Amino acid sequence: MLELLELCGYEAHEMEFELPRVRKAFTKLGITDEDILAGKQRLVTYFDIELKGVRKLFGLFVRELVNITLAKEEGKKKVIHGCMAPSFDVLGSALVSNSREVCVVVPNPPFMVVLGFIFDKFVPILEAAEKQWLKSGLVSHCAMVKTRLGLFALNLIPRPDLLITSGSLCETSPKTNDLLHELYDIPTYCYDTVQDRELWEYPDSSRAIQLSAKGIRRMVQRVQEEVGFEITDDMLWEVLRIKGDFSAAVSKVHELIRSSDPVPIGSTHDNLLTWLSPVPLSIDNLVAATEAVNTLHNELQERVDRGVGVVEKGAPKIFSILPFHHTDPRLEHLVNQVGMAIVATDMEFTATRGMPASTVAVTNDPYEAMSQYLQASLLVPLSGRISIILDACKRLKVDGVLNHYHVGCRSVAGDALILKDAITKELGIPVLLLEWENFDPRVYHHEQYKTRLELFKSMIRPGG
Amino acid sequence: MEQKGLNSHLRDRPAQLRGAKEKGVKIIGYFPGNYVPEEIIYASGAIPMCLTDGGTPHPADAALSVVPPIICPFARAQLGERLLKTNPYYSMIDMLVAPITCQHLKKVTEIWEYYGDIKIFKLGIPHQYDGDFELEYYTDRLRALKDRLEAFTGNEITNKKLSDAIELYNRMRELLKNISMMRSGLSPALSALDFVKLNHASFYADPVFMVDALESLYRGLEKSQAKDKLDRPRLMLTGPNLARGDYKILELIEEAGGKVVIEEICEGIRYYWNQIENNGDPFQSLAKGYLRDRVPCAFMRSSAKKRLDFALKLIADFRASGVIWYELQCCETYDQESYFFNKKLREQNIPMLIVESNYDVSDAGPLRARIDAFIELMKGGPDHA
Repeated sequence: MLELLELCGYEAHEMEFELPRVRKAFTKLGITDEDILAGKQRLVTYFDIELKGVRKLFGLFVRELVNITLAKEEGKKKVIHGCMAPSFDVLGSALVSNSREVCVVVPNPPFMVVLGFIFDKFVPILEAAEKQWLKSGLVSHCAMVKTRLGLFALNLIPRPDLLITSGSLCETSPKTNDLLHELYDIPTYCYDTVQDRELWEYPDSSRAIQLSAKGIRRMVQRVQEEVGFEITDDMLWEVLRIKGDFSAAVSKVHELIRSSDPVPIGSTHDNLLTWLSPVPLSIDNLVAATEAVNTLHNELQERVDRGVGVVEKGAPKIFSILPFHHTDPRLEHLVNQVGMAIVATDMEFTATRGMPASTVAVTNDPYEAMSQYLQASLLVPLSGRISIILDACKRLKVDGVLNHYHVGCRSVAGDALILKDAITKELGIPVLLLEWENFDPRVYHHEQYKTRLELFKSMIRPGG
Repeated sequence: MEQKGLNSHLRDRPAQLRGAKEKGVKIIGYFPGNYVPEEIIYASGAIPMCLTDGGTPHPADAALSVVPPIICPFARAQLGERLLKTNPYYSMIDMLVAPITCQHLKKVTEIWEYYGDIKIFKLGIPHQYDGDFELEYYTDRLRALKDRLEAFTGNEITNKKLSDAIELYNRMRELLKNISMMRSGLSPALSALDFVKLNHASFYADPVFMVDALESLYRGLEKSQAKDKLDRPRLMLTGPNLARGDYKILELIEEAGGKVVIEEICEGIRYYWNQIENNGDPFQSLAKGYLRDRVPCAFMRSSAKKRLDFALKLIADFRASGVIWYELQCCETYDQESYFFNKKLREQNIPMLIVESNYDVSDAGPLRARIDAFIELMKGGPDHA
């Protein structure tokens, strides 16, 4: 156990306090000594665990998982859950930074990273959901939503006093909460926007953002009723500022990866950066997270200076549509093994990049600031998403595009063939479509993926 | 007479519409779900045309060249019709009003927009149907639709024209409701298939003609109401969508010896349960009637209980003894809700059968087997028969 925690960036002076907590939490989660052995092996196999930045990032997820698991017995009086709720993390960070009695749970990131990546114990959670109403099969319910239901079914997360989600991207998350409310009497709240932006409006999202801001404001009012104290604009601004520092640090790492040949780190690690964003870390932990990302950046810069990379110099540069698998590192590892370098994903780009600051982006209203997520590639309409992706591919001069679309999401899966059409027509570079489930490790088929990736590589002409 | 007259009107309708187009009248298509107030389109002098065809494999399959099979067959059919260009109704529209409802129809709209050869107005439907600022948002979007239609048709939409249109469509809804309610009697004179076809006709026919036809039909049915008790299990059909042409499920139920006496369907058929207030600000009235006062579809927030309560009332009012849940493949919200409905209905000893369709030819066999077995069980088993 000690060795595992060291691999996850725990310092020697923390062990006395943290080790018993971790043991208790792992016991509750059913993580055995055998799992720990296997977990150490997976960390070494699929991650650059020799990098201190990577270890520190893993540590943040383990800490979050332990905090969630022990919340009730460590005396948290109110538990607020947020799932698939963009910007809920801002409120969550404000809550945990201003109260010792409130536990804010965004379950997916720590469970996916720790139980998925490290321990390969994610499938039982999905199966538990499938035994309830999110059945397996052709209907392809999103495994991100299954995770929430599975965690409830297995009693692995504390029962919430309020369960929050957003319908900004899909209906499946709010519908799951609707049934959790009706069947288990869990109070719920959902905030929304309306995805009716037209082609001619792009990139202006002010209508959608203003509606979202109203919904988030009402959500904060609802949470205030639950926790019994006021959440001020100043509290939200403070979190937004510190999260801004974190995002800037992440962007620096992304920029370094995009501009380096060979790429200094495998794309599997990107999950550690992107999944931290929705975690409701306290302000102290947000600062620690930013430090960890900066440490990683410095270590990667050193690799770049030495010409060290995870693929050969001159390897084909691949743009990824959708981020990487969130519970299973094998596919990204395979992409690198086949000799291709994923340099960026569309998740890193927004409709505002390169645009003059709009009146909405410069705002005095923290709720409008919290609604800027609607500018992200996944949340703009298809026409906007095409613009974002084409623009990014051109600027990065990529050699091919890998679209491993998440079949559990009608919105992103529905785009896949049109995106391929647009990229092929406009850029003339190969596009590989891989239908998979971003959160479900059962979709991995090594030989099939390897064959398709090798074929894809053979179609690529380096340098376009 | 009235049925014959309506059939003849529908047969001639494409030619009539082409004639109207030649005279400069705009034809405005819109997707179903009952979130697009036809009243506004009608008041603009344009002809509203609900695009609600489905049920056959070819258009849904044709769409697989542009979307994966995860998109439901009805939504795929709306893409397929556009790609195939063989359906006159789909080929003749001048503009599309697309309600942003579920992810499936939203994606269809975005892909129509990608092709860029037709003007599109996206009508945002807030999924928090009972919120105040959401209602205000929807009202504003209806006003924006009015502005767009005025610019497109060159006709002013006055409050008087809107009020007349509301009156016309209210009458249509009232007549459909009256005819539907007759099925709550002991021996419905009208089959579910006939009623659904009539309902679908109301999307394609000239609305004034349709109201006359419905008046005439209603009077005729009043006279022919049978008094004998129906000797078949009375059923409610519920689910996300029943497209024009998707009649296999109703035919199979009839053939198996069941009788659908009421439908609770989100998309495809006209919602006729409530009237639009016809006084005050017409946009506020339309917004309230089309968003807040109706039964919400499953993709709406916190809709499960409200739909269940409505379904239970229909089951009681129409004396249904069982429910057939007809789902389209990959419809994720209805699939989730089927679990909830099944659980709650079983608690009240109301049997429910869940069946699925992908508009495949191969659907029919398994559907028939399951429906036969369900209805046989409802009758009391093979011995009872």
